[in-house]
Amino acid sequence: MTLNKILVAFDGSENSFKAVEYVGDIVKHYPISRVLILYVERLQDKDLYPDDEIWVSQCRKNEEEMTEKLSLAKQSLIKQGACADVVTEQYFASCKSPFHNTDICTTGRSIGMDILRIREEGNYDTVVIGRRGVSKAEEFLFGSVSTKVVQSASDCTVWVVN
Amino acid sequence: MSSEVKKLIHKYMPDSPMSRFGKIFTDSTEFMSIDYSDVMKLGNEHFLVLKNEQERRFGLVDPKYWVKRVKHLESGQSQILKLAFYETFPMHIGPFEIKCYRSPRKEARILDLVKGDMRFMQGYSKDDIAGNNVRVLDIIRGKRLDVVVDDIPVDHKTYFHEYFPDIFEKFMDACEAISFLHSHDEKHGDIRRDHLWVESGTGAYRWIDFDYAFELYENPFALDIFGLKSILVYIVGKANLTMQTLLELRTENSILNTLNSGDYSVVIGNRVVNVQKIYNYIPNSLNNILMHLSSSSSVFYESVDEILVDMNKSLKEIRSL
Repeated sequence: MTLNKILVAFDGSENSFKAVEYVGDIVKHYPISRVLILYVERLQDKDLYPDDEIWVSQCRKNEEEMTEKLSLAKQSLIKQGACADVVTEQYFASCKSPFHNTDICTTGRSIGMDILRIREEGNYDTVVIGRRGVSKAEEFLFGSVSTKVVQSASDCTVWVVN
Repeated sequence: MSSEVKKLIHKYMPDSPMSRFGKIFTDSTEFMSIDYSDVMKLGNEHFLVLKNEQERRFGLVDPKYWVKRVKHLESGQSQILKLAFYETFPMHIGPFEIKCYRSPRKEARILDLVKGDMRFMQGYSKDDIAGNNVRVLDIIRGKRLDVVVDDIPVDHKTYFHEYFPDIFEKFMDACEAISFLHSHDEKHGDIRRDHLWVESGTGAYRWIDFDYAFELYENPFALDIFGLKSILVYIVGKANLTMQTLLELRTENSILNTLNSGDYSVVIGNRVVNVQKIYNYIPNSLNNILMHLSSSSSVFYESVDEILVDMNKSLKEIRSL
C-alpha cells in the first residue's frame, strides 16, 4: 500500500471529524508527506431566499462556520501528532459563491466528483471520507457523496470511516 | 377606486354583465385581500381577478390565494397570475419529508429560459410597485396525463399495444424537456403526475409549476429523476399498482403470490414496479427501466439522459411488437 499523500473529505459533520481523527491515528505511525483536509462548498441555493441580501448573509455565516471547523480539524490532527507543515486545509468554493471569484470552483453537480478531481490533480493516493449511513432509499432520492466516491474512484485507495 | 375599475370594465368588456367593481391593486403584498372584481395593475397592463385557483388533492379543495385566475383586459385573454408567496412546506415522498420552498424567482427564471418551448407552460414575470415578482401565465387547456391515461376505456393489454407506444414516445419528449432544464442547471423541482398536462387540440405534453426549490443534495437532479420514473411506472401500469388496486383489478392469486419485496418501489414501499409480473407482455427492455426504481436494484439512473437512452431502445422494441 502506498501511503504518502492523504486527502480527507470534510463537511463539518461529526462523521467527517471522525475521519480526521482516524487519519490522526494513522499519521502517528506512518510518515506522511501531506494531508489535505478538503471542504467542497455546498452553497445555499439562492432560490430558498426571498432576496440576495439575506442569501449573501447566510452564505457568509456558513462560510465562517465551516472555516472555523476546518481550522479545528487541522488543529486536532496536529494535536494527534501530525507535523504542522504537513497538514493543510482547503475551502473549495462554489462557482456561484458571492465571495470567491475564481474559475477553479465547484459547480455543485456532484461533490463526490469534485473530491475525486482534486485528488487526481493533487496526486493524492488515498481519499478518506466519513459515511452518514443512509438507507438505500435515501441514497436513491438524494445521492450519497461517499457512495459516489467509492463507485467512481480509480488509481487510489478509499477509506470510508463509519 | 371602484369607479376606475368600472371604467376599465366598460372600456375593455362593454358587454360584461359584471355589477360588482373592486379596487385597483398595484402592490400584491397582501394577496389575500385581492379577490373577485379587483384589478391587478402591472406596469400599463390590467388584470381583472375572476377567482382564486384551487388545488384538489386527496378529495380536499385547497384555495391557493396567491394564484389568481384573471382576464387580461387589454387582450381579453384568460390568464393566471401567480403572486409572490414565500411558503415553506414539507414534501412527502414515501417515508421521507423534504423541506420545500416556494420560489417566485426560480419560476420566473425558468419561464425566461423556456420561452417559446411548448413543452413547458408559457408566461413572463413582472415586478409590482413593491418589487414582488408576479408571474403572468398562459392557461393550458387540457387534462393531466394520468387522468388521460386512466380515462382510456380499454383493458390493459389493449391499452399497452394500441395506446401506450404513442404515450411513451410523447413522455420521452417530456423527459427530454427536463433534461434541457438540467443542462441549464435548473430543476423542475416537483415532478409528479399532476404537473404534466396533455393539451387539448395539439395533444402536446406540457410541464407546469416550476416554483419549487429545496436544499441541494449530492445529486441535485435526483428528485426530478425519481419523479419521471414514477410517472413512467404509472403510464406503463395504467394505474398505481398496489396490492389494493391489484385486488380491485382482480389480478389472479397465482400472480399476486409471486410478488416479493424486490418487486416494490425502493421509496414508496407499497407500489409494485415490476409491472411485468402483473402483465407478462411488458418487454424486458421496458421492465428493466422500471426495475431501476425497485428495492432490489443496486444501480440507479443518475441523469435523465441515461434513462432516455434505455427508453429509446425500448420504444424501438415496443414499436416492432
